[in-house]
Amino acid sequence: MNLKQLLLAGGALLGTTVAQAGGFQVTLAGQKNNGMGGVGTGLALDQASMFYNPGALAMVRERGVQVGVNATMARQVFRSQYAQYNSFDRQLDNTVTTPFNVYAGFGPTEGKWRAGIAVYTPFGSKLDYGYNWEGRFSLTEIDLKSVFVQPTVSYAITDKLSVGAGLVVFAYGAVNLQRDIPVQNATDGQFGHIELDGKADQKIGYNVGIYYKPLDKVSIGLSYRSQIDAQVKGGDVTFSNLPNSAVVASRFTASKFDVTLPLPATANLGIGVMPSEKLTIGFDVNYAQWSKYEKLEFTFDQPVNGSTSSASVRDYKNSFTFRLGGQYQVTDAFTVRAGGSFDQSPVKDGYVTPETPDANRLGATAGLSYKFGEHFGVDLSTQFVSLKKRTQTQAELEANGTTDRVAGTYKTNIVIPGIGLNYTF
Amino acid sequence: MNTFLKYSSSALLLGLGLAGCQPEMHSPKYDQGTADFSKYIAVGNSLTAGFSDGGLYLEGQVNSYPKILSEQFARVGGGAFPQAYFSDAQSNGSGYLRLVGFTSPAPPDEPSPITANVTTGLAVRGVVNTRTNPLQPVYTRVGATETYNNYGVPGIRMADVETAGYGNVASTGGTILNPTPIFNPYFERLLPASTNDTYRQRVVAANPTFFTYWLGNNDVLGYATSGGVSGITPTTTFTDLNSRFLDDLTARGAKGVVATIPDVTTIPFFTTVGPTFRRSLTRKTVPGVVITTGGFSLTGPIARRSIATTDIKDPALGGNQLFTLTAAPYLPLVGLPGGKAWRDVYAQLRPNFPPTITLGLFLTSQGIDTLQAFGVSGGNPIPTTLVLDDTEQGVARTATTEFNNALRSKAGAKGLAVFDSNTFFSGVAQTGFVTNGVTNTASFITGNLFSLDGVHPTPRGYAVIANEMIKAINAQYGASIPFVNPNAYRGVRIP
Repeated sequence: MNLKQLLLAGGALLGTTVAQAGGFQVTLAGQKNNGMGGVGTGLALDQASMFYNPGALAMVRERGVQVGVNATMARQVFRSQYAQYNSFDRQLDNTVTTPFNVYAGFGPTEGKWRAGIAVYTPFGSKLDYGYNWEGRFSLTEIDLKSVFVQPTVSYAITDKLSVGAGLVVFAYGAVNLQRDIPVQNATDGQFGHIELDGKADQKIGYNVGIYYKPLDKVSIGLSYRSQIDAQVKGGDVTFSNLPNSAVVASRFTASKFDVTLPLPATANLGIGVMPSEKLTIGFDVNYAQWSKYEKLEFTFDQPVNGSTSSASVRDYKNSFTFRLGGQYQVTDAFTVRAGGSFDQSPVKDGYVTPETPDANRLGATAGLSYKFGEHFGVDLSTQFVSLKKRTQTQAELEANGTTDRVAGTYKTNIVIPGIGLNYTF
Repeated sequence: MNTFLKYSSSALLLGLGLAGCQPEMHSPKYDQGTADFSKYIAVGNSLTAGFSDGGLYLEGQVNSYPKILSEQFARVGGGAFPQAYFSDAQSNGSGYLRLVGFTSPAPPDEPSPITANVTTGLAVRGVVNTRTNPLQPVYTRVGATETYNNYGVPGIRMADVETAGYGNVASTGGTILNPTPIFNPYFERLLPASTNDTYRQRVVAANPTFFTYWLGNNDVLGYATSGGVSGITPTTTFTDLNSRFLDDLTARGAKGVVATIPDVTTIPFFTTVGPTFRRSLTRKTVPGVVITTGGFSLTGPIARRSIATTDIKDPALGGNQLFTLTAAPYLPLVGLPGGKAWRDVYAQLRPNFPPTITLGLFLTSQGIDTLQAFGVSGGNPIPTTLVLDDTEQGVARTATTEFNNALRSKAGAKGLAVFDSNTFFSGVAQTGFVTNGVTNTASFITGNLFSLDGVHPTPRGYAVIANEMIKAINAQYGASIPFVNPNAYRGVRIP
């Protein structure tokens, strides 16, 4: 489960009814990788290989423990095609989320195997569009949280070839989605409001990889992370501000909802090149099978606006991400990193939803590490991700049957500084 | 260590600096194109005045489509747009309907809305005895120095635009045998006392640089809402009056947008009651009802017509016959003896009859026996005023088409923009209309677009109309005027 999937998936959870903080493609599973454009499948950098390529873990020289935390600061503006005030852009009420990661890897010093456990938060998104925005009937707020735990083993078949596998446990997932209902009460003129709040069932998936180093200076990795269906059963539905009249109240009697969201499989290919002892360059391609995400459908125990289900078209397409990054060891203790990425949006034109205001992304990253003595090191990274300005018109929405979202122009920039601490032995 | 601090602090600064960089979308340039909005005048009837919920009142005026348009025009050089507002103390204007609740009948009977008249805070300054209404209210006049750009006059027909005395209380209609024009109280309140100026004269004297022009609805609507009793303006009259009006308005180079007339048979006034009535009859296995059709005559009974239950129009089931919203109180009486419907028809028509025609004489002349079961017997049929049957619908549609042809062709000849409200509202009736994620429909109350009278739009509906006019203006004049968010305007508030 990579971050992008989680973020996009999270957004999807909100669907017709909810919002997102992140169609934000940010791969934040390892602090070193974060500084290198997110490459990692073809490298054996550190314990974060458990995420990027479990097959490479056996080739990671040190055992160790590492923790990282990032601050995802998204800045988004939106201009509706049909807005009350067109002289300014609508800005998201900004919130900062703090995805984190923890890895612990162990095994015999000279042995052929390594084992470890990874904990990462592929998405922890929060998006608040604020009161009165044009898309309030699609989404007003979304808050998504998830924690994944991945026990991992890796085995070096030869000194050039290793394999590995992890059991991906979707240990904790929570979603809160809110939107307004286009029914106005006569008491104070407020629109109705619905809040969906639920926890996802625990699910199991896998993450497998193979790592091969045919030459001293070249390494290749392949990894595959399976699809996991995030499933909420019996989440809570809460209404507010609805009119009191029985004719309306009888149409909004739901108290529980179910929803399933496919978090698609990802296939990854990575190549590493080490022209010198000090320089490492990585190139990654990720292919996410987003086409599984055809619609977001909520089912309710009782009616919501007279219907016990609500479906919203997604029709995502499979998408590639290309990453390039490198690191250079300036001194024994000090390493610098840089990288970039291009990330194709899985969201087709005219299908953009407020919870995932996605677009093709360009990312630039920088990072550095400093080792304090033998065992202890600090990794710093920062990423700047720019989502291409994206416009959809009401005519496009009508043609696609996607008028449950709002026509207009989105533009998003994301900055993600992060810090990691590691202790190796 | 020093190196570390140096590099890390610069990395942090970089991060914070980037975090502060808000994405920007350079605001689009708004442009008036080849039009000049410095003096915008709105020409039209109740729709233009902001009439809603069966009345003209301050909230409707504030949310009239001309007012909404003027706010958008102001971004491309539009001037001030004063309207003839009712004062705060008299903000309820003519009075209007409000929704107080819903009935709660035992199922399977369906709940229906309960409305009440607002009767306080009115702007009624007195009553005048006219030929058709002995108690015709007149409204507080605009001040002598007050200016206004909205010439929306509820009730005005194309047929009235050159009628002298149309805004003079002295025009009370003559006698039944020798009828003369009757003044319009909404036009009267806009004018100085005792002027016989015609509507067209007043509008043209305002000398607009830009105008919206939406006239003609009442030339056919009156026929339809009266169930085919009132007359329809002859097409040649309509065409000539329209042609002269637009010639006059554009004589000094003004540009504008001309709106066509919607098909009245798709508005909630005609589509709300029928399906419920049909379901009720079906449950009670009543095979059909008897109605009268056409206008009234004192020389003999008007024609009866049997309507099969399955011929009552329900969008899901088919059928052709429409029942008016005003039929709602009478339809539960079907099958019972009684004369409420016919007594009310008499009260309504009485001003049109010589005083010698009593209720008894009227009923006898129409062949009505109120001891028979209402609605299911030839002796006590449902009055034509409550039904728009397929023949009458055909007449209304034909007139609408002819009027629209006249409007479109004259607008084309003058190079004016056209808002084809007929096409637009047909689309709304068929598929609804989505505004920023909200599906609005032509349904009564729940559709958001039509107010409690079933004919006139809500503020939401007027905002949608303003957007559609902006589309037409942008296209015709190469302008780029921004739209409004219709959801910021209310639909029907529900208790």
